[in-house]
Amino acid sequence: MSDLLLSVEQVEVVYHDVVTAVQGVNLTARAGQIVCLLGSNGAGKTTTLRAISGFIGLDHARVTGGRIVFAGEDIANAAPHICARAGIALVAERDKVFEQLSVRENLEIGMVAGKTGSQAAGGDRLDLKGIYRFFPELERLTGRQAGFLSGGERQMLAIGSALLTSPRLLLIDELSLGLAPVVVERLAAALTDIRDALGITILLVEQNANIALSIADYGFVMENGRIVLDGDAGRLLAHGDIQEFYLGQGAAAGERRSYRAVKQYARKRRWYG
Amino acid sequence: MQLLANYLTLAALYALIACGYVLVYRVSRVLTLAHGEVMMVGAYLLLTMGTLFHLPPLPAFIAALLMSLVVGLAIYWMVMRRMAGETVFAAVLVTIALGILLRGAMALVWTPRLQYPAEAIAMENPSVALGGSVAVSQASLLIIASAVLVYGGLFLFFRHTTWGVRMRAVGENPRLAAQRGIAPHGPLALAWGIAALTGGLAGMLLSIDTGIDEAMAIIGLKTFPVVLVGGLDSLSGAIIGALVVAGAEILAIYYVDPLVADVAPFLVLLAILMVRPWGLFGTREELDRV
Repeated sequence: MSDLLLSVEQVEVVYHDVVTAVQGVNLTARAGQIVCLLGSNGAGKTTTLRAISGFIGLDHARVTGGRIVFAGEDIANAAPHICARAGIALVAERDKVFEQLSVRENLEIGMVAGKTGSQAAGGDRLDLKGIYRFFPELERLTGRQAGFLSGGERQMLAIGSALLTSPRLLLIDELSLGLAPVVVERLAAALTDIRDALGITILLVEQNANIALSIADYGFVMENGRIVLDGDAGRLLAHGDIQEFYLGQGAAAGERRSYRAVKQYARKRRWYG
Repeated sequence: MQLLANYLTLAALYALIACGYVLVYRVSRVLTLAHGEVMMVGAYLLLTMGTLFHLPPLPAFIAALLMSLVVGLAIYWMVMRRMAGETVFAAVLVTIALGILLRGAMALVWTPRLQYPAEAIAMENPSVALGGSVAVSQASLLIIASAVLVYGGLFLFFRHTTWGVRMRAVGENPRLAAQRGIAPHGPLALAWGIAALTGGLAGMLLSIDTGIDEAMAIIGLKTFPVVLVGGLDSLSGAIIGALVVAGAEILAIYYVDPLVADVAPFLVLLAILMVRPWGLFGTREELDRV
């Protein structure tokens, strides 16, 4: 088994000192793994991701309990640029690219930061050519202003620019959001290539369980701010509840309930026949 | 022709002052209302180089410019840095307070009477004949030359240097910049530094022509329409704004009444705000932030 890169231990995040968003979250990622975090809207996935990347501080939230250990150091409540320099890169749901900068400048921003970054990735330093190898589309667009890119190209640029900071852990929030299925498949394949070529760890937050579990090694499922299920991707994919509530198999159309509701429903059925 | 020469001088002066407003706004979204005072600090520093250290013109200018840069960095580091995360409105109020504070401090240190840095650094300011009956002062030519140099330099800086691209990145999206490992303080401090440097330069050159007293801060205020006309977040807009506002002012002096001249920039501003509230070259979405 490869060594532990990220370990989130019993983390609790509170907004404005009042609202608890996630509680007792435990999550681990080993070096070179693709890990996915599934859950419906408001489950606390993004909050967890923001806690790891240091961004909750900007949203008047903080980690009030537990530890976030990255490469042996507790980085809970560290500033975002500190987390970035430690080797954590985030591709956020919104705010992916600098719209007024060209594709090339967007990528170079990442390299600039990568220079100040730590010894980061194990392999050779990536350069622009390395990124174009994963995303040949970007080479053609190099002078284009990023604000004029399509959704898929933006996502590629965001991932490329994040990779150029030489991360050891790449966090991706909603890879598939608003993208055509064929583009999502293309991106998912690229992520597997990136992991294989660079050996970095990828933590993927997704609502599309199918695509996430198809490339992930391990998965976690969140509901109401807690992890309710975890396991190897293959096992999760075969899990009845996942099939019913994330893949929509066997469930009546338009009838989507939360995981917790399912449990209660199943229990009721057991009790009352 | 004399009209044209005066027009270009005034436009260059406005442009030189305006780029400080644009720089700070673009990077931090804060509209600084202390820029006129920062400009005065530059002029007074030049005066001090002469009275205290008896430097000849060129070294005096260089020393005063470097000190202006430091003043800008210090303003960010000591005051504006603490406004990170606060609302833009609060930050703008802080710049007003800073302006009042600076003005008071300058009156205490340098006294409010009219003084002439040109004498202090023994700089001659001869009138230069440009053929025919047209003549401008040497300082005016320097103002035009520095405006061209400063803008040319800034355009190259933002296009081709690491720090320039970083400043654009932080200005557009500080969060994403942080995600890419850029600490916001460096680019922000640099924006304030360059703003103080260019504003200081404008103040120095202007003081060579007209001397310096408290009234100089009013020029800073009059530049405000220039920036708003051009669009707050656009350097090229600032140039156009300077040309438009200076044009209106010069025409008012010659054809209406010199007394109207002080009002002319604000009349232009009103007209533009009614037609294009985000300025000629500004970004439309910026409007709700002001």
